[in-house]
Amino acid sequence: MLGKLLKYEIPAMGRKLLPLYAAWAATALLLGLTTQSAESKNEFMVVISALLYTAIATTIFVMTIILIVQRYSNSLLGDEAYFNHVLPVSVAEHIGNKAISATLWIFVTILVAIFTGLLIGIGALIVSGEFISLRDLIQGFYEIELPKHFGLYVIEFLLLAITGTVKTIMQIYAAITIGHQVQNRTTLASIGAYIMIMIFESSVGRAFLPLFINLEYNADGFMNFNRVFMPGFIMAVIFSAIYFFICKYLMEKRLNLN
Amino acid sequence: MARIEINNLTKNFGDLTALDDVTVSLEQGQIVGLLGPNGSGKTTLIKILNGLLQPTSGSVTINGSAPGVETKKVVAYLPDRNALPDYMTASQLMDIYEDFFEDFDRLKAEAMVDDLGINRKQTMKKMSKGTKEKLQLCLVMARQAEVYLLDEPIGGVDPATRDYILRTIISNYNENAVVLISTHLIADVESVLDDVVFIKDGRVVLHKAADEIREEKGESVDKLFREVFKC
Repeated sequence: MLGKLLKYEIPAMGRKLLPLYAAWAATALLLGLTTQSAESKNEFMVVISALLYTAIATTIFVMTIILIVQRYSNSLLGDEAYFNHVLPVSVAEHIGNKAISATLWIFVTILVAIFTGLLIGIGALIVSGEFISLRDLIQGFYEIELPKHFGLYVIEFLLLAITGTVKTIMQIYAAITIGHQVQNRTTLASIGAYIMIMIFESSVGRAFLPLFINLEYNADGFMNFNRVFMPGFIMAVIFSAIYFFICKYLMEKRLNLN
Repeated sequence: MARIEINNLTKNFGDLTALDDVTVSLEQGQIVGLLGPNGSGKTTLIKILNGLLQPTSGSVTINGSAPGVETKKVVAYLPDRNALPDYMTASQLMDIYEDFFEDFDRLKAEAMVDDLGINRKQTMKKMSKGTKEKLQLCLVMARQAEVYLLDEPIGGVDPATRDYILRTIISNYNENAVVLISTHLIADVESVLDDVVFIKDGRVVLHKAADEIREEKGESVDKLFREVFKC
Protein backbone atom coordinates (compact mmCIF):
# COMPACT_ATOMS: atom_id res chain seq x y z
CA MET A 1 0.00 0.00 0.00
CA LEU A 2 2.95 2.37 0.61
CA GLY A 3 3.67 2.39 -3.12
CA LYS A 4 0.05 3.30 -3.87
CA LEU A 5 0.16 6.13 -1.34
CA LEU A 6 3.37 7.49 -2.87
CA LYS A 7 1.79 7.31 -6.32
CA TYR A 8 -0.62 10.05 -5.23
CA GLU A 9 1.51 11.90 -2.66
CA ILE A 10 4.55 12.66 -4.84
CA PRO A 11 2.54 14.38 -7.60
CA ALA A 12 0.51 16.25 -4.97
CA MET A 13 3.63 18.17 -3.94
CA GLY A 14 5.04 18.25 -7.46
CA ARG A 15 2.05 20.08 -8.92
CA LYS A 16 2.96 23.10 -6.76
CA LEU A 17 6.75 22.90 -7.03
CA LEU A 18 7.33 21.97 -10.69
CA PRO A 19 6.07 25.30 -12.15
CA LEU A 20 8.28 27.15 -9.65
CA TYR A 21 11.29 25.05 -10.69
CA ALA A 22 10.65 25.99 -14.32
CA ALA A 23 10.45 29.69 -13.41
CA TRP A 24 13.63 29.34 -11.34
CA ALA A 25 15.54 27.74 -14.23
CA ALA A 26 14.35 30.44 -16.63
CA THR A 27 15.53 33.27 -14.32
CA ALA A 28 18.85 31.45 -13.79
CA LEU A 29 19.46 31.38 -17.53
CA LEU A 30 18.41 35.01 -17.82
CA LEU A 31 20.81 35.93 -15.02
CA GLY A 32 23.66 34.08 -16.75
CA LEU A 33 22.97 35.80 -20.07
CA THR A 34 22.73 39.28 -18.56
CA THR A 35 25.75 38.92 -16.24
CA GLN A 36 28.22 38.41 -19.04
CA SER A 37 26.87 41.22 -21.16
CA ALA A 38 26.50 43.63 -18.23
CA GLU A 39 29.72 45.58 -18.60
CA SER A 40 29.01 46.68 -22.09
CA LYS A 41 25.23 46.73 -22.09
CA ASN A 42 22.72 46.74 -19.26
CA GLU A 43 23.55 46.58 -15.55
CA PHE A 44 19.90 47.23 -14.71
CA MET A 45 18.93 43.88 -16.26
CA VAL A 46 21.53 42.08 -14.12
CA VAL A 47 20.07 43.56 -10.94
CA ILE A 48 16.50 42.73 -11.98
CA SER A 49 17.30 39.14 -12.99
CA ALA A 50 19.39 38.61 -9.83
CA LEU A 51 16.49 39.86 -7.71
CA LEU A 52 14.05 37.61 -9.59
CA TYR A 53 16.33 34.61 -9.16
CA THR A 54 16.69 35.24 -5.41
CA ALA A 55 12.97 35.87 -4.95
CA ILE A 56 12.01 32.61 -6.68
CA ALA A 57 14.69 30.67 -4.79
CA THR A 58 13.36 32.03 -1.48
CA THR A 59 9.77 31.26 -2.51
CA ILE A 60 10.69 27.68 -3.38
CA PHE A 61 12.48 27.02 -0.09
CA VAL A 62 9.66 28.58 1.95
CA MET A 63 7.03 26.78 -0.19
CA THR A 64 8.76 23.43 0.30
CA ILE A 65 8.59 23.81 4.09
CA ILE A 66 4.96 25.01 3.98
CA LEU A 67 3.99 22.10 1.72
CA ILE A 68 5.65 19.57 4.04
CA VAL A 69 3.66 20.94 6.98
CA GLN A 70 0.40 21.29 5.01
CA ARG A 71 0.51 17.87 3.34
CA TYR A 72 0.95 16.19 6.72
CA SER A 73 -1.40 18.36 8.73
CA ASN A 74 -4.30 18.50 6.24
CA SER A 75 -4.06 14.91 5.05
CA LEU A 76 -3.64 13.14 8.38
CA LEU A 77 -5.09 15.55 10.94
CA GLY A 78 -7.37 17.91 8.96
CA ASP A 79 -10.46 17.46 6.79
CA GLU A 80 -8.74 15.13 4.29
CA ALA A 81 -7.97 12.81 7.22
CA TYR A 82 -11.63 11.75 7.08
CA PHE A 83 -10.77 10.23 3.73
CA ASN A 84 -7.16 9.11 4.30
CA HIS A 85 -7.74 7.42 7.66
CA VAL A 86 -10.53 5.23 6.27
CA LEU A 87 -8.28 3.82 3.56
CA PRO A 88 -7.15 0.28 4.46
CA VAL A 89 -3.62 1.49 5.18
CA SER A 90 -1.65 1.35 8.43
CA VAL A 91 -0.69 4.53 10.28
CA ALA A 92 2.99 3.62 9.83
CA GLU A 93 2.52 3.58 6.04
CA HIS A 94 0.74 6.94 6.13
CA ILE A 95 3.59 8.56 8.08
CA GLY A 96 6.24 6.81 5.95
CA ASN A 97 4.51 8.02 2.80
CA LYS A 98 4.61 11.66 3.91
CA ALA A 99 8.23 11.43 5.11
CA ILE A 100 9.52 9.75 1.93
CA SER A 101 7.73 12.21 -0.34
CA ALA A 102 8.91 15.24 1.68
CA THR A 103 12.53 13.96 1.69
CA LEU A 104 12.39 13.35 -2.04
CA TRP A 105 11.15 16.86 -2.81
CA ILE A 106 13.76 18.47 -0.54
CA PHE A 107 16.49 16.67 -2.49
CA VAL A 108 14.88 17.55 -5.82
CA THR A 109 14.88 21.21 -4.70
CA ILE A 110 18.59 20.96 -3.83
CA LEU A 111 19.33 19.35 -7.21
CA VAL A 112 17.36 22.05 -9.00
CA ALA A 113 19.34 24.67 -7.05
CA ILE A 114 22.59 23.11 -8.33
CA PHE A 115 21.14 22.92 -11.82
CA THR A 116 20.19 26.63 -11.79
CA GLY A 117 23.79 27.40 -10.73
CA LEU A 118 24.98 25.52 -13.81
CA LEU A 119 22.46 27.37 -15.95
CA ILE A 120 23.84 30.71 -14.79
CA GLY A 121 27.29 29.51 -15.84
CA ILE A 122 26.03 28.17 -19.18
CA GLY A 123 24.20 31.43 -19.89
CA ALA A 124 27.37 33.39 -19.21
CA LEU A 125 29.44 31.07 -21.41
CA ILE A 126 26.95 31.36 -24.30
CA VAL A 127 27.24 35.15 -24.28
CA SER A 128 31.03 35.15 -23.91
CA GLY A 129 31.41 32.59 -26.70
CA GLU A 130 33.62 30.40 -24.50
CA PHE A 131 31.21 27.52 -24.46
CA ILE A 132 32.90 24.29 -23.39
CA SER A 133 31.83 21.10 -25.13
CA LEU A 134 30.33 18.32 -23.03
CA ARG A 135 33.25 16.10 -24.05
CA ASP A 136 35.78 18.60 -22.69
CA LEU A 137 33.77 18.92 -19.52
CA ILE A 138 33.74 15.15 -18.89
CA GLN A 139 37.44 14.91 -19.74
CA GLY A 140 38.08 17.72 -17.26
CA PHE A 141 36.37 15.77 -14.50
CA TYR A 142 38.53 12.70 -15.27
CA GLU A 143 41.65 14.77 -14.87
CA ILE A 144 40.77 15.85 -11.34
CA GLU A 145 42.81 13.92 -8.81
CA LEU A 146 40.43 12.55 -6.19
CA PRO A 147 41.50 12.14 -2.56
CA LYS A 148 41.81 8.69 -0.98
CA HIS A 149 38.44 7.12 0.03
CA PHE A 150 36.59 9.76 -2.03
CA GLY A 151 33.75 7.31 -2.78
CA LEU A 152 33.29 6.53 0.91
CA TYR A 153 33.27 10.24 1.78
CA VAL A 154 30.50 10.80 -0.76
CA ILE A 155 28.45 7.82 0.47
CA GLU A 156 28.78 8.86 4.11
CA PHE A 157 27.98 12.48 3.29
CA LEU A 158 24.85 11.41 1.38
CA LEU A 159 23.77 9.11 4.22
CA LEU A 160 24.21 11.94 6.69
CA ALA A 161 22.28 14.34 4.46
CA ILE A 162 19.40 11.87 4.00
CA THR A 163 19.12 10.84 7.65
CA GLY A 164 19.47 14.47 8.78
CA THR A 165 16.69 15.53 6.41
CA VAL A 166 14.42 12.69 7.53
CA LYS A 167 15.08 13.61 11.17
CA THR A 168 14.15 17.26 10.54
CA ILE A 169 10.93 16.21 8.78
CA MET A 170 10.01 13.78 11.56
CA GLN A 171 10.68 16.55 14.12
CA ILE A 172 8.11 18.72 12.35
CA TYR A 173 5.61 15.83 12.08
CA ALA A 174 5.98 14.95 15.76
CA ALA A 175 5.43 18.59 16.78
CA ILE A 176 2.29 18.84 14.61
CA THR A 177 0.90 15.55 15.94
CA ILE A 178 1.57 16.52 19.56
CA GLY A 179 0.01 19.95 18.89
CA HIS A 180 -3.16 18.30 17.61
CA GLN A 181 -3.67 16.66 20.99
CA VAL A 182 -4.76 20.10 22.15
CA GLN A 183 -8.28 20.83 20.92
CA ASN A 184 -7.90 24.61 20.79
CA ARG A 185 -4.89 26.64 19.65
CA THR A 186 -3.43 23.69 17.79
CA THR A 187 -0.86 25.81 15.90
CA LEU A 188 0.44 27.39 19.09
CA ALA A 189 0.63 23.97 20.75
CA SER A 190 2.55 22.59 17.74
CA ILE A 191 5.08 25.43 17.91
CA GLY A 192 5.46 24.82 21.65
CA ALA A 193 5.96 21.10 20.99
CA TYR A 194 8.62 21.90 18.37
CA ILE A 195 10.55 24.06 20.84
CA MET A 196 10.37 21.29 23.46
CA ILE A 197 11.61 18.75 20.89
CA MET A 198 14.59 20.99 20.05
CA ILE A 199 15.46 21.38 23.74
CA PHE A 200 15.17 17.60 24.25
CA GLU A 201 17.36 16.90 21.23
CA SER A 202 20.11 19.31 22.17
CA SER A 203 20.15 18.01 25.77
CA VAL A 204 20.55 14.42 24.58
CA GLY A 205 23.13 15.53 22.03
CA ARG A 206 25.19 17.32 24.71
CA ALA A 207 25.09 14.21 26.90
CA PHE A 208 26.24 11.75 24.23
CA LEU A 209 28.49 13.81 21.97
CA PRO A 210 31.56 13.67 24.31
CA LEU A 211 31.59 9.87 23.92
CA PHE A 212 32.42 10.31 20.24
CA ILE A 213 34.62 13.40 20.52
CA ASN A 214 36.89 11.64 23.00
CA LEU A 215 37.65 8.85 20.54
CA GLU A 216 41.35 8.62 19.82
CA TYR A 217 42.63 10.78 16.98
CA ASN A 218 43.64 8.71 13.98
CA ALA A 219 46.22 9.57 11.36
CA ASP A 220 43.89 8.34 8.63
CA GLY A 221 41.75 11.26 7.44
CA PHE A 222 38.79 9.01 6.68
CA MET A 223 38.73 7.68 10.24
CA ASN A 224 38.68 11.26 11.51
CA PHE A 225 35.84 12.07 9.15
CA ASN A 226 34.00 9.15 10.71
CA ARG A 227 34.39 10.81 14.12
CA VAL A 228 32.15 13.56 12.80
CA PHE A 229 29.93 11.39 10.62
CA MET A 230 29.08 8.61 13.05
CA PRO A 231 27.55 10.66 15.89
CA GLY A 232 25.50 12.68 13.41
CA PHE A 233 24.31 9.59 11.58
CA ILE A 234 23.47 7.57 14.72
CA MET A 235 21.71 10.49 16.39
CA ALA A 236 19.67 11.21 13.26
CA VAL A 237 18.53 7.58 12.99
CA ILE A 238 17.65 7.33 16.68
CA PHE A 239 15.80 10.65 16.79
CA SER A 240 13.93 9.86 13.55
CA ALA A 241 12.79 6.57 15.08
CA ILE A 242 11.69 8.27 18.31
CA TYR A 243 9.67 10.92 16.45
CA PHE A 244 8.18 8.30 14.13
CA PHE A 245 6.93 6.23 17.07
CA ILE A 246 5.53 9.32 18.80
CA CYS A 247 3.51 10.12 15.65
CA LYS A 248 2.45 6.48 15.22
CA TYR A 249 1.38 6.07 18.84
CA LEU A 250 -0.61 9.31 18.93
CA MET A 251 -2.35 8.58 15.63
CA GLU A 252 -3.19 5.00 16.52
CA LYS A 253 -4.23 5.49 20.13
CA ARG A 254 -5.09 9.15 20.54
CA LEU A 255 -6.50 10.24 17.17
CA ASN A 256 -9.50 12.51 17.74
CA LEU A 257 -10.63 14.24 14.57
CA ASN A 258 -13.04 17.04 15.26
CA MET B 1 -21.80 -12.72 15.44
CA ALA B 2 -23.34 -9.30 14.79
CA ARG B 3 -21.81 -7.23 12.01
CA ILE B 4 -21.44 -4.23 14.34
CA GLU B 5 -21.12 -4.57 18.13
CA ILE B 6 -21.06 -1.51 20.38
CA ASN B 7 -20.57 -2.27 24.07
CA ASN B 8 -20.87 0.25 26.91
CA LEU B 9 -19.39 2.93 24.72
CA THR B 10 -18.68 6.29 26.33
CA LYS B 11 -16.98 9.26 24.75
CA ASN B 12 -16.13 12.43 26.64
CA PHE B 13 -14.79 15.67 25.21
CA GLY B 14 -13.47 17.34 28.35
CA ASP B 15 -16.53 17.91 30.53
CA LEU B 16 -18.98 17.10 27.74
CA THR B 17 -20.27 13.54 27.40
CA ALA B 18 -21.00 12.93 23.72
CA LEU B 19 -21.83 9.23 24.13
CA ASP B 20 -22.96 7.74 27.41
CA ASP B 21 -22.76 3.97 27.89
CA VAL B 22 -24.11 3.07 24.45
CA THR B 23 -24.74 -0.61 23.73
CA VAL B 24 -26.09 -1.57 20.30
CA SER B 25 -25.78 -4.64 18.13
CA LEU B 26 -26.50 -4.48 14.38
CA GLU B 27 -26.97 -7.53 12.21
CA GLN B 28 -26.26 -7.77 8.51
CA GLY B 29 -29.04 -7.52 5.93
CA GLN B 30 -30.68 -4.37 7.19
CA ILE B 31 -30.82 -0.64 6.71
CA VAL B 32 -30.63 1.08 10.09
CA GLY B 33 -31.55 4.68 10.80
CA LEU B 34 -29.41 6.35 13.46
CA LEU B 35 -31.81 9.11 14.32
CA GLY B 36 -31.41 12.02 16.67
CA PRO B 37 -31.29 15.81 16.75
CA ASN B 38 -28.15 17.83 16.14
CA GLY B 39 -25.54 17.22 18.82
CA SER B 40 -27.07 13.96 20.01
CA GLY B 41 -23.91 11.92 19.33
CA LYS B 42 -24.66 10.38 15.90
CA THR B 43 -21.52 11.65 14.19
CA THR B 44 -19.37 10.80 17.21
CA LEU B 45 -20.59 7.20 17.11
CA ILE B 46 -19.92 6.88 13.39
CA LYS B 47 -16.45 8.41 13.77
CA ILE B 48 -15.59 5.90 16.50
CA LEU B 49 -16.73 3.05 14.24
CA ASN B 50 -14.30 4.38 11.63
CA GLY B 51 -11.41 4.76 14.08
CA LEU B 52 -11.39 8.54 13.64
CA LEU B 53 -12.16 9.06 17.33
CA GLN B 54 -11.03 6.94 20.23
CA PRO B 55 -13.55 5.84 22.87
CA THR B 56 -13.13 7.05 26.45
CA SER B 57 -14.39 3.64 27.59
CA GLY B 58 -16.22 0.66 26.14
CA SER B 59 -15.58 -0.96 22.79
CA VAL B 60 -16.76 -1.22 19.20
CA THR B 61 -16.16 -4.10 16.79
CA ILE B 62 -16.94 -4.70 13.14
CA ASN B 63 -16.94 -8.37 12.13
CA GLY B 64 -15.40 -9.03 15.55
CA SER B 65 -12.42 -6.69 15.08
CA ALA B 66 -11.70 -3.28 16.55
CA PRO B 67 -11.49 -0.49 13.93
CA GLY B 68 -8.25 -0.92 11.97
CA VAL B 69 -6.86 -1.86 8.59
CA GLU B 70 -8.99 -5.03 8.36
CA THR B 71 -12.29 -3.29 9.17
CA LYS B 72 -11.49 -0.44 6.79
CA LYS B 73 -11.39 -2.95 3.93
CA VAL B 74 -15.09 -3.70 4.45
CA VAL B 75 -16.44 -0.35 5.67
CA ALA B 76 -17.64 2.32 3.24
CA TYR B 77 -17.85 5.66 5.01
CA LEU B 78 -19.54 8.85 3.91
CA PRO B 79 -18.40 11.68 6.22
CA ASP B 80 -20.49 14.72 7.09
CA ARG B 81 -18.04 17.00 5.28
CA ASN B 82 -16.03 17.15 2.09
CA ALA B 83 -12.96 15.07 2.80
CA LEU B 84 -11.67 14.51 -0.73
CA PRO B 85 -8.60 16.38 -2.03
CA ASP B 86 -9.98 19.44 -3.84
CA TYR B 87 -7.34 19.48 -6.60
CA MET B 88 -8.45 16.10 -7.92
CA THR B 89 -11.01 15.40 -10.62
CA ALA B 90 -13.88 12.93 -10.26
CA SER B 91 -12.00 10.58 -12.55
CA GLN B 92 -8.80 10.74 -10.47
CA LEU B 93 -10.78 10.09 -7.30
CA MET B 94 -12.25 6.99 -8.91
CA ASP B 95 -8.65 5.91 -9.64
CA ILE B 96 -7.82 6.22 -5.94
CA TYR B 97 -10.86 4.20 -4.88
CA GLU B 98 -10.01 1.56 -7.48
CA ASP B 99 -6.43 1.37 -6.18
CA PHE B 100 -7.28 1.07 -2.50
CA PHE B 101 -10.60 -0.76 -2.34
CA GLU B 102 -10.89 -4.20 -3.88
CA ASP B 103 -14.68 -4.00 -3.63
CA PHE B 104 -14.92 -0.78 -5.69
CA ASP B 105 -17.00 -1.16 -8.85
CA ARG B 106 -15.61 1.40 -11.30
CA LEU B 107 -18.34 0.92 -13.91
CA LYS B 108 -21.03 1.42 -11.31
CA ALA B 109 -19.34 4.60 -10.04
CA GLU B 110 -19.05 5.98 -13.57
CA ALA B 111 -22.71 5.22 -14.25
CA MET B 112 -23.76 6.98 -11.04
CA VAL B 113 -21.54 9.99 -11.76
CA ASP B 114 -23.04 10.27 -15.26
CA ASP B 115 -26.60 9.83 -13.93
CA LEU B 116 -26.07 12.73 -11.56
CA GLY B 117 -24.56 14.90 -14.30
CA ILE B 118 -21.14 15.23 -12.65
CA ASN B 119 -18.32 16.22 -15.00
CA ARG B 120 -15.64 13.56 -14.58
CA LYS B 121 -12.89 15.97 -15.64
CA GLN B 122 -13.85 18.77 -13.27
CA THR B 123 -11.77 19.23 -10.13
CA MET B 124 -13.48 19.14 -6.74
CA LYS B 125 -12.46 22.77 -6.21
CA LYS B 126 -14.69 23.86 -9.09
CA MET B 127 -17.69 21.79 -8.01
CA SER B 128 -20.61 23.17 -6.03
CA LYS B 129 -21.14 21.97 -2.45
CA GLY B 130 -24.04 19.76 -3.54
CA THR B 131 -22.06 18.22 -6.41
CA LYS B 132 -19.19 17.41 -4.06
CA GLU B 133 -21.62 15.61 -1.76
CA LYS B 134 -23.09 13.69 -4.68
CA LEU B 135 -19.64 12.64 -5.88
CA GLN B 136 -18.63 11.44 -2.41
CA LEU B 137 -21.80 9.41 -2.22
CA CYS B 138 -21.22 7.88 -5.68
CA LEU B 139 -17.74 6.74 -4.63
CA VAL B 140 -18.97 5.26 -1.36
CA MET B 141 -22.04 3.53 -2.79
CA ALA B 142 -20.09 2.08 -5.72
CA ARG B 143 -18.34 -0.20 -3.26
CA GLN B 144 -19.64 -3.68 -2.50
CA ALA B 145 -18.92 -3.16 1.18
CA GLU B 146 -20.13 -5.15 4.16
CA VAL B 147 -20.81 -2.05 6.24
CA TYR B 148 -21.97 1.36 4.98
CA LEU B 149 -21.71 4.22 7.46
CA LEU B 150 -23.50 7.20 5.96
CA ASP B 151 -23.37 10.40 8.00
CA GLU B 152 -26.12 12.77 6.84
CA PRO B 153 -26.15 11.50 3.23
CA ILE B 154 -29.15 13.58 2.19
CA GLY B 155 -28.53 16.71 4.23
CA GLY B 156 -27.20 19.03 1.56
CA VAL B 157 -28.81 17.85 -1.67
CA ASP B 158 -31.97 18.76 -3.59
CA PRO B 159 -35.12 16.58 -3.31
CA ALA B 160 -34.60 14.94 -6.72
CA THR B 161 -31.07 13.89 -5.77
CA ARG B 162 -32.39 12.78 -2.39
CA ASP B 163 -34.70 10.32 -4.16
CA TYR B 164 -31.83 9.12 -6.34
CA ILE B 165 -29.63 8.59 -3.27
CA LEU B 166 -32.29 6.62 -1.45
CA ARG B 167 -32.93 4.49 -4.55
CA THR B 168 -29.18 3.88 -4.77
CA ILE B 169 -29.01 2.81 -1.13
CA ILE B 170 -31.89 0.37 -1.62
CA SER B 171 -30.47 -1.03 -4.85
CA ASN B 172 -27.11 -1.56 -3.14
CA TYR B 173 -28.70 -3.28 -0.22
CA ASN B 174 -27.72 -6.93 0.06
CA GLU B 175 -28.04 -9.65 2.65
CA ASN B 176 -24.38 -9.43 3.62
CA ALA B 177 -24.33 -5.71 4.30
CA VAL B 178 -25.57 -3.42 6.99
CA VAL B 179 -26.30 0.19 6.12
CA LEU B 180 -26.25 2.71 8.97
CA ILE B 181 -27.76 6.06 8.00
CA SER B 182 -27.36 8.96 10.38
CA THR B 183 -29.88 11.75 9.83
CA HIS B 184 -32.47 14.01 11.38
CA LEU B 185 -34.52 14.14 8.15
CA ILE B 186 -36.68 11.17 9.19
CA ALA B 187 -39.57 11.58 6.78
CA ASP B 188 -37.24 11.31 3.78
CA VAL B 189 -35.54 8.10 4.87
CA GLU B 190 -38.34 6.37 6.76
CA SER B 191 -39.51 4.33 3.80
CA VAL B 192 -36.12 2.60 3.42
CA LEU B 193 -35.44 1.80 7.08
CA ASP B 194 -35.65 -1.71 8.55
CA ASP B 195 -34.39 -0.79 11.98
CA VAL B 196 -34.32 2.43 13.97
CA VAL B 197 -31.96 3.66 16.70
CA PHE B 198 -33.02 6.84 18.50
CA ILE B 199 -30.15 8.65 20.17
CA LYS B 200 -30.63 11.53 22.59
CA ASP B 201 -27.94 13.34 24.60
CA GLY B 202 -25.51 10.54 23.85
CA ARG B 203 -27.80 7.75 25.07
CA VAL B 204 -29.75 5.23 23.03
CA VAL B 205 -33.38 5.76 23.96
CA LEU B 206 -34.94 3.33 21.47
CA HIS B 207 -33.77 0.49 19.23
CA LYS B 208 -36.56 -1.24 17.34
CA ALA B 209 -37.64 -2.47 13.93
CA ALA B 210 -39.41 0.29 11.98
CA ASP B 211 -42.41 -1.99 11.34
CA GLU B 212 -42.67 -2.76 15.05
CA ILE B 213 -42.88 0.95 15.85
CA ARG B 214 -45.65 1.43 13.33
CA GLU B 215 -47.60 -1.61 14.62
CA GLU B 216 -47.12 -1.02 18.35
CA LYS B 217 -47.46 2.75 18.44
CA GLY B 218 -49.73 3.07 15.44
CA GLU B 219 -47.69 6.00 14.13
CA SER B 220 -44.87 6.72 11.74
CA VAL B 221 -41.23 6.80 12.82
CA ASP B 222 -41.21 10.49 11.92
CA LYS B 223 -44.13 11.20 14.26
CA LEU B 224 -42.57 9.20 17.07
CA PHE B 225 -39.30 11.05 16.55
CA ARG B 226 -41.10 14.40 16.92
CA GLU B 227 -42.65 13.19 20.17
CA VAL B 228 -39.45 11.81 21.67
CA PHE B 229 -37.35 14.82 20.71
CA LYS B 230 -39.97 17.47 21.39
CA CYS B 231 -38.32 20.75 22.45
